[in-house]
Amino acid sequence: MSDNAFLVDTTKCQGCRGCQVACKQWNGLPGEKTEFFAGPENTNPAELSAITWNHVKFFPIDRSNPDRPIWTIMHKKCYHCNEANCLAVCPEKAISKVDGWTIIDQDKCIGCGACVNACVYKVPQVSGIEHVNDVGQKIVKRDKSHKCNACLVNKREVPACVTTCPSEALSFGNRAVLVKEARKRVAEYKKDFPHACIYGLDEFHGLRVITILRDAPEKYGLPTGKAAEPMEHAKAEAIRDTYALLSTFTFGIPALKRTAYRLSKSLASKEV
Amino acid sequence: MTNHWIDIKNADVILIMGSNAAENHPISFKWVQKARDNGGKLIVVDPRFTKSASMADVYASLRPGTDLAFLGGIINYALQNDRIQKEYVVEYTNASYLISADYKFNDGIFSGYDGGKREYDKKTWGYQNDDKGIPKRDKTLQDPQCVYQLMKKHYARYTPEKVEQITGCQKESFLKVAELFTSTCKPDRVATIMYAMGTTQHTVGTQNVRAYAILQLLLGNIGLAGGGINALRGESNVQGSTDAGLLWHILTGYNPCPEAKKHPNYEAYIKAVVPKTNDPMSLNWWSNRPKYIVSMLKAWFGDAATKENDFCFDWLPKAAKGTPHIVLFEDMYKGMLKGGFFFGTNPVVGGPNSNKEAKALEQLDWLVAIDLWETDSSIFWKRKGVDPRSIKTEVFLLPAASSVEKEGSVSNSGRWAQWRYKAQNAPGEAKSDLDIVNEIYEEVKALYAREGGKFPDPIVKANWNYKHGEHEHECDPHLVAKEINGYEWKTKKQMASFMDLKDDGSTACGNWVYGGSYPQAGNMMARRGQKEGPGGIGMYPEWSWSWPVNRRVAYNRASVNRNGDPFDPKRPVIKWNGSAWKGDVVDGGAKFGPEAKNPFIMNAEGVGKLFSNGVVDGPLTEHFEPKESPVRNLMNSQAFNPATKVLESVGGEFGDAGAYPYIGTSYRVVEHWQAGAMTRNLPWLTELVPDMFCEISPSLAKKKGIVNGDMVRIFNKRGSIQARALVTERIQPWNIQGKEVEMVGMIWHFGAGCAESGDSCNNLTPHIGDANTMIPEYKAFLVNIEKA
Repeated sequence: MSDNAFLVDTTKCQGCRGCQVACKQWNGLPGEKTEFFAGPENTNPAELSAITWNHVKFFPIDRSNPDRPIWTIMHKKCYHCNEANCLAVCPEKAISKVDGWTIIDQDKCIGCGACVNACVYKVPQVSGIEHVNDVGQKIVKRDKSHKCNACLVNKREVPACVTTCPSEALSFGNRAVLVKEARKRVAEYKKDFPHACIYGLDEFHGLRVITILRDAPEKYGLPTGKAAEPMEHAKAEAIRDTYALLSTFTFGIPALKRTAYRLSKSLASKEV
Repeated sequence: MTNHWIDIKNADVILIMGSNAAENHPISFKWVQKARDNGGKLIVVDPRFTKSASMADVYASLRPGTDLAFLGGIINYALQNDRIQKEYVVEYTNASYLISADYKFNDGIFSGYDGGKREYDKKTWGYQNDDKGIPKRDKTLQDPQCVYQLMKKHYARYTPEKVEQITGCQKESFLKVAELFTSTCKPDRVATIMYAMGTTQHTVGTQNVRAYAILQLLLGNIGLAGGGINALRGESNVQGSTDAGLLWHILTGYNPCPEAKKHPNYEAYIKAVVPKTNDPMSLNWWSNRPKYIVSMLKAWFGDAATKENDFCFDWLPKAAKGTPHIVLFEDMYKGMLKGGFFFGTNPVVGGPNSNKEAKALEQLDWLVAIDLWETDSSIFWKRKGVDPRSIKTEVFLLPAASSVEKEGSVSNSGRWAQWRYKAQNAPGEAKSDLDIVNEIYEEVKALYAREGGKFPDPIVKANWNYKHGEHEHECDPHLVAKEINGYEWKTKKQMASFMDLKDDGSTACGNWVYGGSYPQAGNMMARRGQKEGPGGIGMYPEWSWSWPVNRRVAYNRASVNRNGDPFDPKRPVIKWNGSAWKGDVVDGGAKFGPEAKNPFIMNAEGVGKLFSNGVVDGPLTEHFEPKESPVRNLMNSQAFNPATKVLESVGGEFGDAGAYPYIGTSYRVVEHWQAGAMTRNLPWLTELVPDMFCEISPSLAKKKGIVNGDMVRIFNKRGSIQARALVTERIQPWNIQGKEVEMVGMIWHFGAGCAESGDSCNNLTPHIGDANTMIPEYKAFLVNIEKA
């Protein structure tokens, strides 16, 4: 299994959004039709979506220390949790770990949205549209869940977002080495930003996208502690067992499978 | 750039002012980050809290158009607190030179001013000479007429309090900047300045850059690794186009364009443009100018250019007057031009007062637009509010090859000429600019041959051979590059460098500064050697080729003391070992030791000019308000730059703060490119920035009842546009002379053409420019705003 991970250093991100564009270019994803800005400052679109797998969010400027205003600009994509909720809940086992990365098998996915609800980061999204790229490949399939695959599908050694980053805000390499580097940097940053920290060391038993922040994770809406623990296995298993039973009556029809899943989920939650 | 991109990593302090490098030159931040990783500090001075500011160690806000007050304040801080690099200042600048006793300065006006003409006679700005004609000096810097003392007096008026009153930057913030920046007065501490159009696009643009030069000279920062004055050019090859003489006032290699009145013949031209000195310490490099001019004429006119006919100097067009962009379009507006070629230019979006410029185009009989797509300028005849039937102009759109569809060189801001191969053929009938120009030339030449004309010689006898054979369809860019490099006329042997050029017609050279880019050995610009090179300072001398003569740091002779030892031994650019130079290609020729010649070889005096007669609007810098300003000038009783020309035809186009109380300013975002023709058609980019927007402070928004995302109308006497309002804390008003001064910041990438359209903010910008260059004052003007 690969030991690789991403390091996102928000103190080095200058908001060029090269990563957002490079991801779309490399994966053949369409641009979204937007109007003005959908999120704070220049943020566009508002969030990750089935056709935007890499997103840059501009936070409003924080002027609580007038001598040192902070404008955080954050790169976001799938965090590739070591213990991923999406994987645990997927009724069709369409989500698996491939070389350590969380990957959705598009052929198995039924678009039930289990992963969408289970992900506290709101990463995977089920597509309402279909997109065929310039050379006729069906890049985005309707009623399937989509997200970053760490450039494992359109394979490349270093993911497109990292390659394009001009200021080394993104790096890619051995996780242990990156963690060490992150600790070194944070020690330095604390001189200017006393609450600087590393996010992703322990969340969901360790994320494959480690983020250096100038301030506490809560400031950026990132879950910590209990909220960042993997969901209970019992619950996920209960849903899956019920679904396994019901799905025998769905005759492989995706729409029925989705109904079966919704039913299993409500039944399971009553049991718990 | 005196230095180059990678060299930014060597800086101890980086000042970004008049630039939003993180946004508009994203890759530069790779090196800014490296400098910071090494303990370097970043200062950002900008009216807005920009992406660059978000990375800064120290940020200071100032009102647009007040850079000279701010910089004057830093100069004063350095002089009053003796935070200067004394050895450098005494040896390598004109601080010790005595200025004419007739030089005066009073209330914003320097001696020699003619208010009627808005012009200076610069006679009194000269030096006192000794009987050998060499400027007198006082190396103790005590003589009251020496530059140092004159400066001390001049800048004493720029107190921190005054800086705050004018710029709106709080005194504490200003002092923090001044303290940190001048900390590089230590010989081995170095600061760099990164600037762009935020510095230049003012009626005092040239003086803004002068202020940087003064500061960097006082601190001993020019010529050193991590130092210099670094203009971040706005397009990938804008440096190359400047080098190649594309500007209105220069030929190739920064030789002045001949003007009809001043330069009626070759002799008069040479007399006017070749500086003289009697100082044996001065190399006075421009004394070589005749070699460069004659070799250029030889390259252009070949066999026809002989000593007897002054090498066809008379064939060069002589300008009746200076014709920068604004003047050109005023002339066009008056119907003085018949036709125009627009190579990748889009003034209907990018030109100042663009409503008027679009109207000016209607006066043309014909217009040829050469571009990748239709642009707002090529479809000006069907713009909003006009009836195409009423416009006489015949418009041709020639499809152009994009940068990856043609071979050639691109010179970056750091003066590196980098050769690019052609990645793929251009689609359809699209052609490279070179082939388009060549076809037009061949057709015009044939027309002259067939039909004759008033003055066919410069065309029909031009030395123009860029194809390998008459029947070839395409030109070979290597042939152009070889001509630019220069060659011996008789043998056609490529020159090794411009040192071999002569003024007798035996050499031909298209552009002397590129001498050595394509010698006998081959195309140096195509090199991709990856050795870091001497000093461990990232010069990479085998990567591409840098003009002049592959020198990576300009004025590097100033990086060592008179013994030839580097001021900054940790990051040596060059070093004298007693008999030879080591390191970068030394400025001024390897045969002269450090004690033999002064380092600023392009100046006749050989030293850096703190006090300069090289500009038209004053030997020292002085704050003036922009032409349109919401407040009065606190520094003197002149309103705006007294040497800036106001064209008669634009008299009624300016407004005042009564009707238009807010400062308008314009800028770019990373997601769009210039006038937008290349980016507004790309869905990945329009996803990020889909429409025209402006940025205003929460306080202005509240006053006007505007909420984030509202459509607003921004207007002045020149135009009215609509934009979405981004209400942001990153914009804050300034307290100036007891009133809150607000700003409306606008991007200028939008126009009517392309997939995503919107209004151009240049409908609002004025037809007035810098006193020296006439670059338009895009960065500070007046507007009003209301909810649409």
